Amino acid sequence: MLRLAFRNLFQSKVRLMVSIGGVALALMLILSLDAIFAGSQNQVTAYIDHSGADIFVAQPGVRNMHMTASALPMSVASEVKVVPGVESATPILYLTNMIVVGDERNLAYVIGLPPRPVAGGPWRIVEGKPLPSVGEAVIDRGVAVKSGVGLGGEVEILGEVFTVVGLSEGTTTLLNSVAFISKQDFARLRGEARTVSFVLVTVRPGESPETVAARIETNVNDVTALTRADFAEQERKVVRDMGNDIIAIMNLVGFLIGLAVMALTVYTATLARRAEYGVLKAIGARNGHLYGVVMAQAFISIALGFGLGFAFTELLSLAVPYLNLSLALAISGDSLLKVALVSLVIAGASAILPIRQIAGLDPARVFRGR
Amino acid sequence: MSIALRNLLKDKTRFALSVSGVALAVMLILLLSGFLSGMNTQITAYLNHAPGSVVVAQAGVRNLLGATSLLPAGTDGDVQARGAAKVVPIFSQFIILDLHEKKQPVYLVGYDPKLGGGPWQLAAGREPRRDNEVVFDRVLAERHGIAIGDIIEILDRDFTVVGLSEGTTSWMTSFIFIRKTAAESLLRAPGATSFLLVTPSDRLTAETLRDRLGRLSGTEVLLKHELMANDLKLFARYFSAPLQLMTGIAFLVGALVVGLVIYTATVERQREYGVLKAIGARNRTLYQVVTIQALIASSVGSVLGVGLTFAAAKLIMELRPQFLITMEPAMVVRAILAGLAMALLAALFPARIVAGLAPAEVFRR
Repeated sequence: MLRLAFRNLFQSKVRLMVSIGGVALALMLILSLDAIFAGSQNQVTAYIDHSGADIFVAQPGVRNMHMTASALPMSVASEVKVVPGVESATPILYLTNMIVVGDERNLAYVIGLPPRPVAGGPWRIVEGKPLPSVGEAVIDRGVAVKSGVGLGGEVEILGEVFTVVGLSEGTTTLLNSVAFISKQDFARLRGEARTVSFVLVTVRPGESPETVAARIETNVNDVTALTRADFAEQERKVVRDMGNDIIAIMNLVGFLIGLAVMALTVYTATLARRAEYGVLKAIGARNGHLYGVVMAQAFISIALGFGLGFAFTELLSLAVPYLNLSLALAISGDSLLKVALVSLVIAGASAILPIRQIAGLDPARVFRGR
Repeated sequence: MSIALRNLLKDKTRFALSVSGVALAVMLILLLSGFLSGMNTQITAYLNHAPGSVVVAQAGVRNLLGATSLLPAGTDGDVQARGAAKVVPIFSQFIILDLHEKKQPVYLVGYDPKLGGGPWQLAAGREPRRDNEVVFDRVLAERHGIAIGDIIEILDRDFTVVGLSEGTTSWMTSFIFIRKTAAESLLRAPGATSFLLVTPSDRLTAETLRDRLGRLSGTEVLLKHELMANDLKLFARYFSAPLQLMTGIAFLVGALVVGLVIYTATVERQREYGVLKAIGARNRTLYQVVTIQALIASSVGSVLGVGLTFAAAKLIMELRPQFLITMEPAMVVRAILAGLAMALLAALFPARIVAGLAPAEVFRR
C-alpha cells in the first residue's frame, strides 16, 4: 500500500513539488507568526534577564516595565537595603523616549543609572566605557550604526544632547533599544529628584529571591516586589495576551490555505490515476485498501511539507538578523506540536474528496474506456 | 478562449479547489491590509478627536503614543501668552492593567473635564467628577464584563467606572480617562503635564502659532496632523516586516495553487495541444490558452476572495470588536492585481511544457 502511494506520489515530480511547497508555505505561515511572537517574548525581557538584579521593586500595582511607568519615593531604596537578605539595592529611573540623531529617531528604554550601580547597567559593552557620567550616554551598537554615530558622537535624549561614550550589544528589540544615562541627568531633565522608578535588588548568597521579595513587601510600605523570573514572566505575558487573538485568526487562515492546497493536490493525483484505481478494483482490490493508498499519499505529502515548512522557518529565523528587521524568530516546541497536529487534520480532511471519488468508481468502467 | 474555458471547467471539483486556494490567498492579503488600515485609524483616533490643531510636547518628543512626555512647569501660561485661544493640558501614560488574569495595555489620559481632551463620545454614563472615577473604553469593558458602577484597580488605586466611551479601542491598547489631578496622584507626579492641545486664536493660523511657540525652551511644538503622522510611522515600522512576510507567503501559495491546476490541466491535455501544434497552431496561441486558463481561475478566485474578506472581516469584528478591519478601494484593486500576478506566474510552467511539445509526438503514442 505504502509503495503504491509512494509511486503514485512521485510519478509527477512537478505536482509533488507544488504540493509540498504549497503545504510548506501554509504551515510556514502558522510557524513563522508563532515564532515572531515567541521571539518578541524573549526580546522584551532582555533588560530584565541581563540586569543582574534578583528582585525588582516597583510602585504598588506595577508588575511590568514595558508600556508602563513606576514611581517610588527615593527613601524606598534605603528601606529596601536594610531588609534581611538584601545585599544591594540600586535605584534606577526609567521611561520610554527617543534617541534622536538628525532625522533618525529610535525608540528606547532610557535608564538613569546611579554612580557605580550593582545592577541595571549594560551587560555587554563592545566599545567604550560601561557607565555614563553626567552628559554621557551608552547606547545600543545597532542604533548607533543605523544613526551613523560612534564613540564621541552626539545623540539627543529627553531633549538634551549627550556624548556617546559606550556601545552596548544585545540591547535592541523589535520595539525599542535600551539607552543608559546618568541618574543625575535623568532626574534633572524630568524634574524627578525625589522619586525613582524601580529599585533593583540583589540578595545575599544562600538567600532565596522569593523569600526576600516577600520580606520586602512585608517590611516596606507601598511597593510591589517581584523576583526577576516573575517580573520577566509578567513581561512575556503582555506580548502573549496581546498576540493571542491575532495568532488564532492567522492560524485559521493558514490552516484553510494548507487544506485547500493539500485537498487540491491529493485530489488531482487521485484523478490522474483513476483508471489504474479502477483496474485495481476490477481485479479485486477492496475499497479499504485503496482508501489506505490515498491516505498514505496525503500523509507522506504533509510530512514532507511539514519538514520543508519547518526548514523554511528555521532558515528565515537565521536570515532575519542579517536583514536589519529588529525581529527575532523563536520556534517553540509547543508551536511545532500545534503545527504537527494541524498537519494531521489537513492530511485527513484532504483525503475525503478523493476517497469519495474512489468509492464511486465503477470497476467495469475502465474496460469501457474513461 | 473556448478551449481554455472547456479545459478548465472539465473537472468542476478541481476548478473549485483552485478557486478556493486563490480566494483564500487573496483573502489573507486583503485581511492583513485591512487590519493595518484599521489599526492606523485606531492609532490616530484620540488625536483626531482631540481639541486644537497644535500640540506642545516635551523637547525631543514627537509622538503621542510611544514616548513619555513631561513638560516644564508653567509652559501652559507661556503658550497662552503667545496667541493661543485655548490650551488643554493632558497628563498621559501607557499602563498595564491586570484584568481577569490577562495583561491589558491601556493608554491612560488624565484630563480636565471642564477644558476637554477626554472621551469624545460616551456610549453610557458620564465623565469623571471625582479623582476616584474612570471612563472605560466600552469594548474593553464588555470584553471583561465591566459595567458602570464597578470598581477597577488601576495600579494601586481603586476607581469606579462612571462612563463607557465609544471609538477608543484597539487590539493593542484602549484608552481610559480619569481626571488630570487623579493621574498626577496615581503616577506620583504632582502638577505634571504631558501635552498641551492648543487652539490658535482667530488671528493666527496653526502654522504661525507653531512657529511662535517653537522658541519656548524645553518643548517640541508640532501640528496635530504631524504628530498623527509620526505615530503612524512609528507603528508601521513595527508591523511592516511581519506583514510583508505574511503577504509574500500568501502570494506564493496563491501562485502555486493556480500553477498546479493549470499544470495538471495542461499535462492531461498534452496530446490535444500536440494535435493543435501539428495542424499549424503557433506556440503563441497555445500560450494564450494556458494563460487565459490561469487568468480565469485567478480572477474568479480573486473576486471570491474579496467577497470572503468582507464576510470574514465582519465576522472577526463581531466576535472580536477590538479589531477594526477597514477596506479601501485601492486595497481591493491591489489584491485583485496580486491575484492576476499569481496567474501570470502560474502560467509559466505549463507554457514551458506546451513550448517543448513536439507535434509529431502525438502520432507516436
